[in-house]
Amino acid sequence: MRIGGVLNLLGRLLIVLSLMLLTPVPFSIYFQDGMVPAFLTCSMLGLTAGAGLIILFLPEKELQFKDGFAIVAFSWLFLALLGALPYYISGCIPSFIDAFFESMSGFTTTGSTILSNIEVLPKSLLFWRTMTHWLGGMGIIVLTLAILPLLGIGGMQLFQAEVPGPTKDRLTPRIQDTARILWSVYFLMTALETGLLMLGGVDFFNAVTHSFATLATGGFSNYNASIAHYHSTYVQLVIIVFMFLAGANFSLHYMALKGDLKAYWKNEEFRFYFYILACAVLLIFVANHITHTYTDTFKNLRDTLFQATSIMTTTGFGTADFDRWPPFARLLLVTLMFIGGCAGSTGGGIKVVRCLLFFKYARSQLHRLVHPRQVETIKLGNMRVAQDVMIGILSFFAIYIAVFISASLMVTALGVDIVTGPSAVIATLNNIGPGLHLVGPTQNYGHLPSLAKLVLIFCMLAGRLELYTIAIFFVPGFWKMTRAPRLRWKRPV
Amino acid sequence: MIVGAGQVGQYLCEKFSSEGQEVVLVDKNEKKLQRLERELNILTVRGSGASARVLAEAGISKTDLFIAVTDSDEVNLVACFVSRHYSVKTRIARVRSEELLMPDSLLNEEVLGIDLIISPDWAMADEIIKLIQVSEAFDTAEFSDGQVLLLGYIVHQDHPFIGKSLYQIGKIAPDTKYVMAAIIRQGETIIPRGEDVIQAGDKIYLMMLKKDMAKVEKLFSFSSKLPSRIFIIGGGDIGYMVARQLEETSIEIKIVEMDKKRCEFLSENLAHSIVLNMDGLDAQALIEEGIDMADLVIAVTRSATTNILGSLLAKHHGTKRCITKITRHDFIPMLDKLGIDVALSPRQVAADMIIRYVRRADIVSVATILDTDAEVIEVTVPDSKRFDNVALKDLKVPAGALVGAVVRQGKAFIPSGDSRIQPGDNLVIFFTREAARKVEEFFQA
Repeated sequence: MRIGGVLNLLGRLLIVLSLMLLTPVPFSIYFQDGMVPAFLTCSMLGLTAGAGLIILFLPEKELQFKDGFAIVAFSWLFLALLGALPYYISGCIPSFIDAFFESMSGFTTTGSTILSNIEVLPKSLLFWRTMTHWLGGMGIIVLTLAILPLLGIGGMQLFQAEVPGPTKDRLTPRIQDTARILWSVYFLMTALETGLLMLGGVDFFNAVTHSFATLATGGFSNYNASIAHYHSTYVQLVIIVFMFLAGANFSLHYMALKGDLKAYWKNEEFRFYFYILACAVLLIFVANHITHTYTDTFKNLRDTLFQATSIMTTTGFGTADFDRWPPFARLLLVTLMFIGGCAGSTGGGIKVVRCLLFFKYARSQLHRLVHPRQVETIKLGNMRVAQDVMIGILSFFAIYIAVFISASLMVTALGVDIVTGPSAVIATLNNIGPGLHLVGPTQNYGHLPSLAKLVLIFCMLAGRLELYTIAIFFVPGFWKMTRAPRLRWKRPV
Repeated sequence: MIVGAGQVGQYLCEKFSSEGQEVVLVDKNEKKLQRLERELNILTVRGSGASARVLAEAGISKTDLFIAVTDSDEVNLVACFVSRHYSVKTRIARVRSEELLMPDSLLNEEVLGIDLIISPDWAMADEIIKLIQVSEAFDTAEFSDGQVLLLGYIVHQDHPFIGKSLYQIGKIAPDTKYVMAAIIRQGETIIPRGEDVIQAGDKIYLMMLKKDMAKVEKLFSFSSKLPSRIFIIGGGDIGYMVARQLEETSIEIKIVEMDKKRCEFLSENLAHSIVLNMDGLDAQALIEEGIDMADLVIAVTRSATTNILGSLLAKHHGTKRCITKITRHDFIPMLDKLGIDVALSPRQVAADMIIRYVRRADIVSVATILDTDAEVIEVTVPDSKRFDNVALKDLKVPAGALVGAVVRQGKAFIPSGDSRIQPGDNLVIFFTREAARKVEEFFQA
């Protein structure tokens, strides 16, 4: 690892984020909530730190694959720390760990909150909350690649580390163009949802912030009751549709925008994603119906559709307290949490395509027991999946289980109960938001011990960067290869 | 003029020269040419088919039909290209490359200026698919856009019609329309009459309308159910193409291939066939995979020995039927005795296609009957007094020929002696080779 080059790039990213920290300022002035000094202070702090890093460390001419991991992991950590400052400095969240939790939950599009009363927060801070979602959803490094030639060196390593997934679909030969396309589609869809929500009578501020949270599959809402605040079926339907789209591969949206609507159905992952969701909705609806959870069948259907979509796409918006649903429905939702969205979406979780290939692999092993001499290739659509991609997926599952179990053990060791603890880990590791019981949809994470919050922060980051980017830091050899940074001023000997 | 004295080339030389055509054969291999010149009544020229000088020397300026069937796609295409400078009427090239054969290929027949592009392997695969669709038949040909079928069956030991004459069989079900076009008895072709009697071991050719196929097969107690389990031994081009076409049906397919790399290719490109990496002669492994329960085994490896032995092995263990690819035409009569149901050679299938194409001018389609000297053609009745509203029995069709079906305005029917024909009708005629010339002359306007 070339630590000097990594820190230099980190400085540049800090500057980008510091500029982003100025976006809530107009809202602050408009709503006169007195947050202008806080945001300006944070922005200045970020600029100073970023400039300091750039001045101190010389950039490297080239980056290695490994360095990509380091840059992405470090920058996500430090960006989240910087993003936590507005909460802390303004005094809205007195504990720094809580502020850090809220910020990390924002950037990783998790949507778990430690706030019990969201509505008292200043408007500009609410905007910043969802802004972190929006930036984290498509990836701040991808954004930087897309709009600024700032990073200088070929961004493939960075792109791969920030937008993981078992297979890559590059839309253009140049990674910068791909990043630009993805962000344009993302931006366009956000604008579209904002417009549609405003048609339903939502004011501009809430329409924008909720669109940010939907498209990023984040889940922060400006209301304590989340989306249930809006009783309009239209608003809920718009959000359902956009959650569903945000959980699908953005390359497909790009192709659809170019006129190839069939691209969706031709994609095996998308079909599977759709089927899983449709089955889950049906099963939960029936379960709720049989147990008389709802008196109103239409409301049951609407809430089931909303919650299943919200959970599977890892958004985490709520219109119903699913913690009161029958055990079967709750467990099914937890299952959906694990699966998550499609690769190339803003959703978290294991990803549909990984599950699909995982089970295809298992099936081919079973076939081999029946026909010992059979040769079978694993295919996705009509394309053959290379052996090393398969091995990558299998080891992903191993790391995933290891992280899940050790995090659950740690959280329960800190005294959290057996439903709350693991479900909090699931909800954060898969970037969903609400878990079950004490961290259920009507609850929040504020009451958890501070150490447990740190564990969950780690889970959120690991889940967002899909494990490998974080797990590589636990390989001792990674650190041993660290090279001394090249400083701009050599210390006098 | 034929370029390339490979298997297809030799077969075509034999076929055309026996019909009295002047054949010039161009090839590089002198020994082969000397032998063929001795055996067949043809002229040979040594040299490369891609050389304009050689072709000119061989007399391309006087050639009507130009067929390039060397092993190399490039030579064939270049040879056809050269021939475009001369007044050749029809150009035919054989190619292997899949890219050229795809229907949407950029280099299609029109662009290349070639009348027919054929591939023996593709032709063979098509033939196999046709045979699978009419399960018990060992030979099949279609006429008038598939309305009329000619199917060949083997009469087994315990067949109910043994010892009965055609007249007697006809009386059993007078409503079922078919024509028994030929009986092949010990390699000899008989154009049957009412008093001929069916014997065990005969191969009979029945001509019928496609829609009547089920009825006729029931009458003759031949079953024609689609097989449900198929084994393909050999995952070469033929095996692959057959499997790919069969995947559209619900047939369960297993492909046996020795080469690991090829197996991976197959499993990648086929949707749900089971690809097995093993030797097609490994009896133990084949039985473990259930070859004894298979309805059909298609042996299409590169080696004829493996194909024949593999088929015999499968038959021995209880496979109902097998289609075997062979490369040597001379073996076909012998395979019969061994109990192999259908033996096909790609060169013959391809050569048939060429002959069918060449005769297309006034004769609509042609099929040669496997392992016999008989052919079936579809001709259009010329506009002449001789044919106007004449009953079939008065038509005086040359000896050794028989009208199997009549197609009038796109609709086919099976005629009886009293049926009258009109100019413009298409007749499907079955005839032996001795009668070929006479039949062609008979229908000249």
